[in-house]
Amino acid sequence: MAKHMMTLTVNGDTYDLVVSDNQTLLDVIRDTVRLRGTKRGCTTGACGVCCINNAKGEAVLSCITHALDWDGESITTIEGLEANGELDAIQKAFIEFGAVQCGFCTPGVIMSAKAIVNKYPQPTEEQINAGLAGVLCRCTGHVKVKEAIRQDYRIREAGREAAKNATSN
Amino acid sequence: MLLPDHSYVTTDSLKECLRLLGENGDRAMVVAGGTDVIFNMRLKLFNPEVAVSIRKLEELQHVEELDDGGLRIGAGARLTDLEEHATINDRYPAFAESIRAVASTHIRNMATLGGNICLHTRCSYTNNSEEWRKGLKNCYKTDGNICHVIRSSSKCLAINNADTPLALIVLGAVLTLQNADGSREVPVAEFYTDDGMDHTVRQPDELLTYVTIPPVTDRTTFLKLAPRKGMDFSTVAVAARCDGAGTDVSTVSIVLGSISTNPIILDKPARIVSQKGLGDEAIAEALNHVRNELGNLTNLFSRASYKKQMAVVLVRRALIALRES
Repeated sequence: MAKHMMTLTVNGDTYDLVVSDNQTLLDVIRDTVRLRGTKRGCTTGACGVCCINNAKGEAVLSCITHALDWDGESITTIEGLEANGELDAIQKAFIEFGAVQCGFCTPGVIMSAKAIVNKYPQPTEEQINAGLAGVLCRCTGHVKVKEAIRQDYRIREAGREAAKNATSN
Repeated sequence: MLLPDHSYVTTDSLKECLRLLGENGDRAMVVAGGTDVIFNMRLKLFNPEVAVSIRKLEELQHVEELDDGGLRIGAGARLTDLEEHATINDRYPAFAESIRAVASTHIRNMATLGGNICLHTRCSYTNNSEEWRKGLKNCYKTDGNICHVIRSSSKCLAINNADTPLALIVLGAVLTLQNADGSREVPVAEFYTDDGMDHTVRQPDELLTYVTIPPVTDRTTFLKLAPRKGMDFSTVAVAARCDGAGTDVSTVSIVLGSISTNPIILDKPARIVSQKGLGDEAIAEALNHVRNELGNLTNLFSRASYKKQMAVVLVRRALIALRES
């Protein structure tokens, strides 16, 4: 298998990687960059657990795309949501609403949820449903997940408010 | 899990891409979004020696407004970008609807229009892992000489599940196929064949580069029925178009998809409503003739009887939607 050099920015860190022709983006994230948060599920685009965000903050599936296609691009995985030791609002919302059971699909669900709120800060029911359609949770269902997504805006606003107060004090 | 062995080449120039396809012929396969090709590679239904990536081929990703009021869309344009495109939603609402009907947001964020048009046919027998398929002899699609779905069939009967071509057919869209020596234009209606293995007229050295839609002011509609609403291949999908207003029409066209290896352009039902208008009686009469034109249906993915009945239901809904639009 021929190997090639490629550059990939994952969660703000730029990596120079040696990647073979038959590696998918998921293989590179998990086995080369060694970020194991992104899960390997069906590997055929049906389950959505390998979901990551592209540079535009959209949800894409890393299991059905050649890694080499992403040369020079920037992606965000579940590990990249946390900033300065603090969880992202969407992660806090998932914890607050118990939108997790076994947790296997959670990275994919959270990255899909993140893509929804990136695009629609206050998403409608329809927008949430459309954004979650490509990712499956087999234990808890999508009710609590949807509740968490609806609360993301409130938690994000509260965070902003707190930050503003902290600087004004 | 690594993909099966193959070599990968990428190019940002159309000329270079066409040269690569010409050089490699059958051994090469074009990968744009990857959502269909890599899926089929996982199942070992596609075994290319060379994957030619056109993901960075920007000249095929634009939507261009033509002087006559039509649109020329690059085949490499992402479905997400097209479904949100103001001009497409404005001029071709049924086409926009057919794009939104494709798979999930995740897939549409990667998949391209050209990829959906060339979407490989599916079969409930072959679309399983290689290990699963070992239980039976190779079928036409896996280099054998039998069809496990209909034993007496002399060819592969896999289903074409693409949604966007239905809307493109009623809109009279034309595809541009290019190879290193030149290009040709093929109406979408003539792009598909009735052979499940080799289901389009595209040659291995050709690349689908542009989709040109003529200006259309007629009423159009697109409806899809699938096992799951959020993300699934269609059980039946329909696109329809008519001129006039209310029940008053002179030309109606109806195309059904996901029924067989190629989209089915309904002839007699369309003729009846063209002559008699979109009144309840004329629609009921037209529906009586839908089943006759569906051909040899297989039990692929859903029972043939259900599929036939749903085809009738969807055609009725489409004609009523046209009348009321």
